[in-house]
Amino acid sequence: MPDGELVAVAAVGGRPAPGRRLSPLAAMLWAKGRVARHSLALVRRESRLKVAFVSVSALLLWIGIFVFALLGLRLFETFGAEVLGEGALTVSDLVVARMLSVFALALFVMLVFSNVLVAFATLYRSREVPFLVLAPVTRSSFFLGRFYECVAFSSWASAFLGSPILLAYGLTTQAPLLFYPMLAAFYVPFVVIPAAIGAVVAMALVRYLAGARRGPLVGFGLLALALLFSYFRGKLRSPDLADTATIQAIVDVMGRTQSPYLPSHWLARGVLSAATGEAGDALFYFLLLAANALLLLWLAAQAAEAWFFTGWSALADGGETRRRGRGRGPFGALDVVLRVLPQPTRALMAKDFRLFWRDPAQWAQFVLFFGIMALYVANLGEARSFARHGTWGAWATLLNLAACMLILASLTSRFVYPLVSLEGPRIWMLGLAPVGMRRIVWQKLWLSVGSTSVFTVSLAVLSALRLDLDGTSFGISLVAIVGATVALSGLAVGLGSLYPNFREDNPSRIVSGMGGTLNFILSMVYIVLVTLALAAVLLWNDGLARVLGDRGQAMAAAAAFIVVLTALACWLPMRLGLRNLERVEF
Amino acid sequence: MITTRRLTKRYGAKAAVRELDLEIPRGQFFCFLGPNGAGKTTTIKMLTGLARPTSGTVAIGGHDMAGEPLAAKRLLGFVPDHPFLYDRLTGRELMRFVAGIYRMTEDDLAARCEPLLAAFDVLHAADQLIQDYSHGMRQKLSFASCFLHDPQVVVVDEPWVGLDPKSIHKVKTYLKERTREGLTVFMSTHSLAIAEETADRVGIIHEGRLRHLGTVAEIKALARRPGSLEEVFLELTREAEEALVDA
Repeated sequence: MPDGELVAVAAVGGRPAPGRRLSPLAAMLWAKGRVARHSLALVRRESRLKVAFVSVSALLLWIGIFVFALLGLRLFETFGAEVLGEGALTVSDLVVARMLSVFALALFVMLVFSNVLVAFATLYRSREVPFLVLAPVTRSSFFLGRFYECVAFSSWASAFLGSPILLAYGLTTQAPLLFYPMLAAFYVPFVVIPAAIGAVVAMALVRYLAGARRGPLVGFGLLALALLFSYFRGKLRSPDLADTATIQAIVDVMGRTQSPYLPSHWLARGVLSAATGEAGDALFYFLLLAANALLLLWLAAQAAEAWFFTGWSALADGGETRRRGRGRGPFGALDVVLRVLPQPTRALMAKDFRLFWRDPAQWAQFVLFFGIMALYVANLGEARSFARHGTWGAWATLLNLAACMLILASLTSRFVYPLVSLEGPRIWMLGLAPVGMRRIVWQKLWLSVGSTSVFTVSLAVLSALRLDLDGTSFGISLVAIVGATVALSGLAVGLGSLYPNFREDNPSRIVSGMGGTLNFILSMVYIVLVTLALAAVLLWNDGLARVLGDRGQAMAAAAAFIVVLTALACWLPMRLGLRNLERVEF
Repeated sequence: MITTRRLTKRYGAKAAVRELDLEIPRGQFFCFLGPNGAGKTTTIKMLTGLARPTSGTVAIGGHDMAGEPLAAKRLLGFVPDHPFLYDRLTGRELMRFVAGIYRMTEDDLAARCEPLLAAFDVLHAADQLIQDYSHGMRQKLSFASCFLHDPQVVVVDEPWVGLDPKSIHKVKTYLKERTREGLTVFMSTHSLAIAEETADRVGIIHEGRLRHLGTVAEIKALARRPGSLEEVFLELTREAEEALVDA
């Protein structure tokens, strides 16, 4: 740790004494604070309707999670008592602690993965890195200055989604008031640990693999993901619940996440202790988390001293030496495939594929998505026995479809939405060409539909095979996922054109803006509406029959609703986006 | 103030800079000339510590850039051709940030910030967000921030992009005046008229090798026919290309 740096952090916000030397780390944090403040002020320049819609939607989402968690936890609290009588063990006594462990472990693993990517983007790809490397700042100061950004960027979503669940837990268990500030205290060291691990992994990968060929690297990454997956799958394999469903079996599986060496376990134990008023235990687990977070932060700063500059230089050198073979390799094959398209669509498609593949931050995230999809399909075998039983089969179809659409929404929100904005810095070239914005935007739509449908249709087919769905359910799933691909692609391209950000060239930052958030929320709304419409048909029962009447008519109405909704979700944003781009001045 | 010894940078099989030996004393205005792809930017990256030499050394004020990077960088200022500036800071906030990363005192910041913003004609926009600056204003702000920590060596890479004639004159005059006070300037440029006007010494690099080094008069004397520095530069680089083809 650079001398005196952390002490100087305390000076951020206040003006230091005139004769006192300013600190680089404090200056970096102060500048980030100002940037955040100005960015918030700039929200006023956004459309009021958009800001209001996004804010209200975010609030409703938070409240929805809170209510769902509260009802679920209260059900667990009373479930045992209703069956076995007052004083008996409840489901809550048996599983809530373990659920908390599973939740914390899942969060921890996700944070490690996302931090590797965030650290790569923040430490190596950000435009301000050369500016900071020029300054007389130690590598560890530089690292710490950027590290806080990594932590904030990677953990805000988990704080937003996790806080209502933990708040509901506190209310259900009637935790003392101290529990709530303690939650915040536990959360800070807990997110620092995966951020430090992720940063060290990213720096080690860049230090030792920068300049290596991409093909073997991707292969190595997929192999590592497969090994990791098979390890965790063996560890967490669930029993055949349809045949031997016992709470004890679930409890055993969940218990496997409670290793005393895992930070997720320390968080879970700390939260439980704080909820039950065991202040000593809570303090112990807090100190355990904090000590480990500080140690890992120190180790990561040492790793930055040793590895950062060598890796950064190697990464910069690699970019200048690579020679791309003309007409060979995967892009040669791609060029052959694209010959069926007319120009200039072919040229635009070829350019988009090449740019995507040559941006490590893009394809690394894509590999992660691919891993999640593989994990999902592989785990579906566990639910096959459910899917064979009448109503459960309908539920399995519906939930599988919703999961496929959620993966699709993540793909379109992350990779498709920024496509139009990314043309910004190069718009002088496309703007001058006799192409027209209309054609460019439509090309983005076809690019999105073509490339995402490869994954979503494969996902729908594979998951249907794994679940052993019947022909009708399989057909419904396939048609629905194709419709969703068109709808969500249109939504992402349309809103990307309606709210383009031509100043930014980092897709992650484009996505995290107001327009990107709006796109994700509207994608969720589409998924919920389609799922509800299908639920009315697939989960048909006497209650629904009394409300909806004839099943055939209900099916026709549901199908018409989905078709109209899909057409609207694609057409309306595309129309608005096109109109906006035709008016916009670059 | 700037010393390079057998400075070499290779990208795979290609040598971008080969065995560059330079000695630029205190108070000298040095212009580094060469056609596109000659190795100017790679040299600047190594001088400023943005790239690691494959072999050879760089020293700024006697401090080796590899061994004592912090000491070397404290003496150094850099204005790139397309400077990165934080779009969502104001000009004044950027100056304060730069003061922090160069460990300046609050007194020094207060004493130097406004005069520099005024000297480079950006004081009137000091409290606006940089995202609202024109390209020329960004360039002027990057000059102001470069001089904030009172560097002894300034490296400038094609600084005239986006500047209007009045600003070019102002920057040129400022740099020249500061060299009289002891500042060392290393400027890479394609504006040969400005180089002719300002440079105490000129180096011409081609295909990664330093081909010619001397005062403007000495470089001009190398040409078969007398002419402007531009004509002499074209003749010398053409000769170098022919020599390469013959070899």
